[in-house]
Amino acid sequence: MADHSSSTTHSRFFQHHFVDADQQFETAKMGMWIFLVTEILMFGGLFAAYIVFRLWYPDLFTQASTQLNTFWGGVNTVVLIGSSLTVAMAIKSAQLNQKKNIAINLGITLALAAVFMVIKYFEWTHKFELGIFPGQFYDFGGIEHEKANVFFSLYYLMTGLHGIHVLIGMGLMGWLLWRSLKNHFDSEYYTPIEITGLYWHLVDIIWIFLFPLFYLIE
Amino acid sequence: MDTAESSSTSKKIQVQRFKPDDNPDKHYLNEETGLWAWLTTVDHKKIGVMFLSAVTFFFFIGGIMALLVRTELWTPAKTFIEANTYNQLFTLHGAIMVFLFLVPAVPAALGNFILPLQLGAKDVAFPKLNLLSFYLYLTGAFVAIFAILNGGIDTGWTFYTPYSSTTGGAVTTMVFGVFIIGFSSILTGVNFITTIHKLRAPGLTWDKLSLFSWSLYATSIIQILATPVLAITLALIGMERILGIGIFDPAMGGDPVLFQHFFWFYSHPAVYIMIVPGFGVVSEVISTFSRKHIFGYWAIALSSLAIAFISFLVWGHHMFVSGQASLASMVFSFLTFLVGIPTGIKMFNWTATLYKGSIDIKSPLLYIFGFFFLFLVGGLTGIVLASIALDVHLHDTYYVVAHFHFVMVGGMVMALLAGVHYWWPKITGRMYNEVMAKIACGIIFVGFNVTFLPQFVMGSQGMPRRYFNYIEQFQPFHQVSTIGSYILGLGFLMVFYYLVKSLFTGKKATANPWGSRALEWQINTRPPLHNFHHIPVIINGPYDYHKPMEEFQLGLAESTGDGHGQQSDIKVTSDGKEINAE
Amino acid sequence: MSGHHISTDKTLLSVAAALLALTILTVGVTYIHIPAPWNIITAMGIAVVKAGLVALFFMNLYWDERFNSMLLIAGLAFFGLLVALTLLDTLFRAEVIPAF
Repeated sequence: MADHSSSTTHSRFFQHHFVDADQQFETAKMGMWIFLVTEILMFGGLFAAYIVFRLWYPDLFTQASTQLNTFWGGVNTVVLIGSSLTVAMAIKSAQLNQKKNIAINLGITLALAAVFMVIKYFEWTHKFELGIFPGQFYDFGGIEHEKANVFFSLYYLMTGLHGIHVLIGMGLMGWLLWRSLKNHFDSEYYTPIEITGLYWHLVDIIWIFLFPLFYLIE
Repeated sequence: MDTAESSSTSKKIQVQRFKPDDNPDKHYLNEETGLWAWLTTVDHKKIGVMFLSAVTFFFFIGGIMALLVRTELWTPAKTFIEANTYNQLFTLHGAIMVFLFLVPAVPAALGNFILPLQLGAKDVAFPKLNLLSFYLYLTGAFVAIFAILNGGIDTGWTFYTPYSSTTGGAVTTMVFGVFIIGFSSILTGVNFITTIHKLRAPGLTWDKLSLFSWSLYATSIIQILATPVLAITLALIGMERILGIGIFDPAMGGDPVLFQHFFWFYSHPAVYIMIVPGFGVVSEVISTFSRKHIFGYWAIALSSLAIAFISFLVWGHHMFVSGQASLASMVFSFLTFLVGIPTGIKMFNWTATLYKGSIDIKSPLLYIFGFFFLFLVGGLTGIVLASIALDVHLHDTYYVVAHFHFVMVGGMVMALLAGVHYWWPKITGRMYNEVMAKIACGIIFVGFNVTFLPQFVMGSQGMPRRYFNYIEQFQPFHQVSTIGSYILGLGFLMVFYYLVKSLFTGKKATANPWGSRALEWQINTRPPLHNFHHIPVIINGPYDYHKPMEEFQLGLAESTGDGHGQQSDIKVTSDGKEINAE
Repeated sequence: MSGHHISTDKTLLSVAAALLALTILTVGVTYIHIPAPWNIITAMGIAVVKAGLVALFFMNLYWDERFNSMLLIAGLAFFGLLVALTLLDTLFRAEVIPAF
């Protein structure tokens, strides 16, 4: 059992079909982990396609990745790591009942996620200017490989799906921020921060793999 | 902390016995009434009932399409509909039956209703997600119907590229609909696994878990591992059509066989999403009507998990003639044979349960007997199809169609009907007409065999599936098959008739009409809104038929104290005698 | 085995620092041009270590109940299965006869 005894006091967010708050917390967390498994396999389909095509056309990946900017990819990696850190700090603040710090940390997370998306926006629009569009709209002569469009399709799909997850995460962070400002969270009840945090870390982990797979091919 | 573990101390605990009410004044159907209460309910029982109504509706729609397809095949050329309409009809029959009926039928409808009752829980772990799952299902269904009305689809339910990425019609809308339904399925899976892990009643250890719960557990594992891959694959088809991304379309530099890998990574395990919960129903019904402890409890429980695992290793047997590497074909063929082992273990254990049991052939058991014969044929022909050399000949013929329908209709639908008949008194509080139930079961069994046995024959003679025209030598087989489908349809209509009739004129059911030992039968018939007035304490297993009935119906003699007004209930049941249990 | 482990600032900050260092390392090694199969292995190795750090200390798996770790591993294992059995086909296909 937990160090603190939440079993006797019922938070106003306690649901009747659980025995105590601990059970509710553990259940929510396990549910989130199971959902993360589905996320892994959803991205897994795209990663599998990536692996198949990379093993078929290694030259394509070497040539095409020169069009990606390692510096900004690296900056985005650091930005996401930072946001993971602040989410973890927000959970810690909640556990220690530092209600002000919850909001501050969630706010920083939201801001960092926005920075990530802004950088992503500039990366994509820069490519669009060069004529590097996904799929059949691909119109760029700089790469001497007949399947160059496939590489960029994979690039747009994988970073795009990841970007959608970042946007969803931003929505969740905004919601958490709003709730924390309404004083919903304390050391007795911080389940939404905990499980949203898990989701956010998984988004971070996926980027940790996307970064070397697209930007760091030599 | 697990509730089950935290109470598993060895000291003696005081437990009180509560007799269930046969026809309580208050139950889940009348405690909250009105349309709005139904639409916003988070009660797993009502959601289960809504799912049951929805899948029945789509079974009806899909069934009508099947009858139209069969009627068209009465003559070798055009009988009464255009070839293109025919293509759309069989596509929709497949897509509706698979995604809107078979996948949610047992888990989301019966599972939702029964699982928390069998676990001694007040609800599933995430009641709101459960409701969301139902609305996602409805939304997906509406999008799919919208796609049908706006151009239709003619790809077959398998959406093979490059045809699906280039053909006209509303394929993009349709895959979007299926994508949404996939999320509904994922949410059910997440909910069930968490519920089974976290919400078991005190004393309900893993070895006292009912086999229906075990089968739902295995099903949920497949749902969460396989469905997301389908989601991304369908999204890729949509992208292929909108952007021409060139992952699957060879004209754009992609590989169509890759689509088949991704698709079958979901869709092969998906047939186990459909059938494994049916296995769970079989175990419950067999034990109840044999008045005997289930034979080989752990073998049945673990073989469900084994099937769940092996189902992910065999998808390539759908692709023997697709041009995949022969190495892959050989490995997949070998692995496919392995599925027969856990399935065989189940069949043997079920028959062994019947051995020397006090068999009471009520209609649920009769449906299960039908299941045995039909599923055995379906399963064994699956082994035939798993061998590469034979499959090259039989691939995409009516042999495959017959095999699939023997497993899905003969296996899964018979098990579903058994489950519906078995739990009907608990759900509705009414008994149906037993004689009519037995007659209908016979009609369905005969009709099914008349429909699909000829298909084995013409399939092995080379009649390809999905064809509009065929050569005249197959006409007698097709005509017998069509007549069979009408008999089959009649049987299903009959079931529908007497079940609906029982709601109005049926005899009132007692709390435990079958004398079952399982937990869901130890509470009121038509369960109360929150299932258990008293937190049940589980001492006996769900199949302990060697123990007298008095030892069941146990609960803690204290109120749960969460403000649901259960203090009064204690007075009602205060005559329950106290017993000591370890 | 409860999930209410409270991480110290020190743990969180040192994990973040390690992640930052590994990010710089993985970019850095591209400049020394490790020969063909080993460069991707290095990059993936570093990514796995980074992901492991996030999972163990940010997602608290190190202190959490084992079942949640099992879930993560199961997810990765079945992804591995998808890739492995697909590659069994895509890497071993016979050459298509061009004139066919």
